[in-house]
Amino acid sequence: MDHSSRPLVDPAKPFFESNHTRRSIIASYWLVVLLAVPLWWTTTSIDRLSLPTSRVLAQQDKQLVFPVHVCLSTQESSLAGPTATLARVVQQLLDAEREMQERSGVHIHTDLDCDRDVYEVEVLSGTNQPTIEGKRLRFEIDETQVMSAMRLTDTLLTLLAPYVTLRSNNHQTERVLKYAPRYRLALSLLNEDATSEHSIKAWDVQGHLSKHISPILDRLSVLHNFTVESQIQFHAPLAFEPVTLQGSGQEVHGLTQEHLTVFVNSAEWTLSSSVSNDPVIHFILFVPSAKHTPLHILDAAGQPVASSAFILPQWGGIVVHNPNSAISESTVLVPSELDLMFATFRHQLMTLLGVPELSKNIQSNQSLTDWQIDALLRRRAIENAQGSKDTLRSIVQLVRQIENMPVGHDVKDDVQGSLTALEQTYAAASSSLHASIERSKEAITLASRAFFNPGMLALLYFPAEHKYAVYTPLFGSIAAPLLAAVIRELMAWRRTRHGAQQAGSKDAKEKVD
Amino acid sequence: MLSGWLFNVCFFLSVLAARTVALHAEQFDEELTLRPLRDGKLAARFSFTTLLKGVAPRNPERLDEDDDSQHYTLFPLALGQILREYAVTEMHLTLNAGNWAYDRWGYPDDLGVSTGAELWAWMGEGGPVTVDDRWKGLRNALAGLFCASLGSLDEQRTTSPALTFQPEGSLPRWNASHQLRHATLPSEHVCTENLTPFLKLLPCKARSGVAMLLNPHRLFDADWHGLGVHVRYLDAGVEVRLAFQAVFDPVRLSSDKRRDWSLRSVFDRTIDRACPVARSSEVRVELLPDSAYAITPDPSEIDGNRATYAVKDRTEPLDVAMRWPGEEAFQYPIEAAPLSPLSVRRTLKGSSQSDAQLSVVIRNNLPVQVRSSYLETMPWLVEFYLHTLHADIGGVPRDDLVSVISYTAPVPHTRPTLFQAILTLPPKTTLHLTMDVTKTFLRYTEHPPDAQRGWDLPPAVLIPFDFGEDPIQNHTTSPGTSAKYARPARPRRIYTSVLLVDLATPDFSMPYNVIIMSCTLIALIFGSVFNLLTRKFVLVRLDGDSAEQKPDVK
Repeated sequence: MDHSSRPLVDPAKPFFESNHTRRSIIASYWLVVLLAVPLWWTTTSIDRLSLPTSRVLAQQDKQLVFPVHVCLSTQESSLAGPTATLARVVQQLLDAEREMQERSGVHIHTDLDCDRDVYEVEVLSGTNQPTIEGKRLRFEIDETQVMSAMRLTDTLLTLLAPYVTLRSNNHQTERVLKYAPRYRLALSLLNEDATSEHSIKAWDVQGHLSKHISPILDRLSVLHNFTVESQIQFHAPLAFEPVTLQGSGQEVHGLTQEHLTVFVNSAEWTLSSSVSNDPVIHFILFVPSAKHTPLHILDAAGQPVASSAFILPQWGGIVVHNPNSAISESTVLVPSELDLMFATFRHQLMTLLGVPELSKNIQSNQSLTDWQIDALLRRRAIENAQGSKDTLRSIVQLVRQIENMPVGHDVKDDVQGSLTALEQTYAAASSSLHASIERSKEAITLASRAFFNPGMLALLYFPAEHKYAVYTPLFGSIAAPLLAAVIRELMAWRRTRHGAQQAGSKDAKEKVD
Repeated sequence: MLSGWLFNVCFFLSVLAARTVALHAEQFDEELTLRPLRDGKLAARFSFTTLLKGVAPRNPERLDEDDDSQHYTLFPLALGQILREYAVTEMHLTLNAGNWAYDRWGYPDDLGVSTGAELWAWMGEGGPVTVDDRWKGLRNALAGLFCASLGSLDEQRTTSPALTFQPEGSLPRWNASHQLRHATLPSEHVCTENLTPFLKLLPCKARSGVAMLLNPHRLFDADWHGLGVHVRYLDAGVEVRLAFQAVFDPVRLSSDKRRDWSLRSVFDRTIDRACPVARSSEVRVELLPDSAYAITPDPSEIDGNRATYAVKDRTEPLDVAMRWPGEEAFQYPIEAAPLSPLSVRRTLKGSSQSDAQLSVVIRNNLPVQVRSSYLETMPWLVEFYLHTLHADIGGVPRDDLVSVISYTAPVPHTRPTLFQAILTLPPKTTLHLTMDVTKTFLRYTEHPPDAQRGWDLPPAVLIPFDFGEDPIQNHTTSPGTSAKYARPARPRRIYTSVLLVDLATPDFSMPYNVIIMSCTLIALIFGSVFNLLTRKFVLVRLDGDSAEQKPDVK
């Protein structure tokens, strides 16, 4: 076979066979793989929006402080001079207590300027105890300026910052329920055993509610809404046996301090409410059976105490009713007995809701004064602000710690909304207490909604290892020929280049030779 | 002074008035009915009725306003909250175990004897929350209250067969009409965890009165048992009736095969003390007139075939006992006429995993023609082929006996089937109904944890409502017989037994096998195609020019 008979195309090299075609095929495979990577990445990645971490952290050091303006006035011309002095001295004394004021979130300022809607102290001459009318405090002075100033300072602090003064009960903070926009008040009359002779079959709950409890609920409606319900149970046994004491002549049964902690028999008493998530405040009137009458609460030393009522912190109040043996035939409660019990329930309700007690030497014609309500509002606003700060910080920390946690738009919006509301709470503190509490309610609601967002748990239990376990059988076996082809082409390319160089150097050598 | 005195008088009067209202606005009645059955068994029905007088159900149009405060003395607060929250006018919940044998036991005292859970409610339309949302809330709240899986009575099982489930009370006249929601869950099993919350709704719990006999060890050992909660609105007010039914077998419990029973032997308890707040508290025993029995103690009252004991009048514990002194051992009746007007047998035939045939055999036991409604509510798991619906009597096609057919086709994964028809049953004959069904293929995630067990299908419901109207029948039967069956007090439901359908069940380890196998296949195909594309092809000379020869594959 000579060169002239050869066709133009080398039959040893098929027309489709060229390095260029083969390399383009391999390259296009890799191109598809590379182009698919971003698609894979976006479809499998978790939606994690960035949270305003710096704004959240910036909130942590802020303290909510309400400026409170108290003005002193007098109608008596002879007291005009002493009043001005009194205002100055009281302000000095209050400034000395600055740290204590800050701890309870108020900053009291006194002067003689009474034209705005402020707390007013009307100075009178006399020796009577101070009295409260709305936002006005009637304060009578007769002794030396210094004594009056100290007395007034003390009174103002008790009224405006009641939660950290030494007079208030230290246990109170632990008893108070967490803030909720709506509470359910559940009143239950529990007969331990209705077949025994001392049992109460009916009570006029509506009449006494409207007489004792409803005025309080109306006054507190700026802060909470209430749903009230009541029931009677005829068989509500105790889960334990009360101790028996030999009293004067007759047997007395007693509840020890340990018994009080396990008094509520939640297995047998149907008290819980299943239709809503509102927190329930329980009030229980317990009528022991004839076997356990009279039933008294015992002190630590095992002696009966005079009171027959107790509070379970953040749960409710309980009154134990020992039927009077003289009228034991009656199966209903007489109004005077019920008045007493509902007065106890009212007191328990105020304690559980954190309403500050009015100190005993201050007279008032209202059951709940404006000063008390405002102090409660300030307290709840501070609590809500603190609560939303803590919740927001927890969210940010949690999202930072758990890298698989998705953060959707709703969570981000809630966090931002809560932050904005929190900032507005601070901004409104100096101008309007009511605006401030409204914004703080919104802040805590949004913060808890963001924290409990169900979407944040979606992928938490589907770790990345599982994904790779599913991918490997496919991608491993496909990646092998792809990689092998690339390596083979690279080696072939290097060999041809090396061969060409060698051939080139050989030619040069031959030329030299 | 005078005004103060007047105020005091008014105050005490108002307190007295309030107290009388509180005492009389609610009343509680309890009763236990015991009925010895023909086959030696004993049917017991506890009924606890609380009537809340002068109260109407909540109007759904006012759901966005604050509700009135609920102050109850006897009415169960936990149930009252649910009814007011979801503005339910009428509600019936039953949880039963076992098949009620209509032929041998007759009609039950409480009609709801569907196996498993059944819930139906009439609710007013209108207002801020739709009926479906409230239905969802209602079944979830009841699921929480009774510890039952009523939450699974979802849209896939909810129908609205308003003709079969007519309200038992009255419906308030509001601007908008009322709607029915009905769902069944035949696989739900009633047990102690449902009885405990049930007992807590009773004013006297299980500690006094008739309810003392509700001993879970004995109740759940009974051949048939079930509890029911029925709420309806009457003109007098809202009535809640809690009921427990059971069919005991004294022959099984006794050592010498006698059918003698007493409260002690059946419930292992006696009624020691009366419930102090019950207006009436009675034990009623239905007597069998045609047998020689003895009943102790002496009843307070005997009215025809019924002995009544007033529990409140008794000072010592009540232990009713009934004996048949002349009987050595109880002889089961071999051949006895069925006690119910219709006997129904329903089966699903066919061994294939894709198709089956529904077969219903209905026998009219009466000597008159009976017209009856027939209702099937099937989940979408099985679909009917309506054109294959055939009726025959003794092999003779009688498709004319099935009329007024209404059919709502199922939507897979969303909506159940609703099939209603009117059947005309000639006297003393047996009607065979057949219909082909197809079984759906479920998604992987739709199978229950015990997938191999199969799916329970709800019972069909028949209501015989028209007796002997046919002129020919009136002609042939005596007027007395016709009158006897012509006007029952109210149409009564008959539930058929439930069915179990076997659907194609996958091997649940399959997904992983499929992943591995398809990956291997794809990798193989990919590898060979890829190699073909990138392989270097050369021509090989075979005639020996070694200089030109190259390796064929690189």
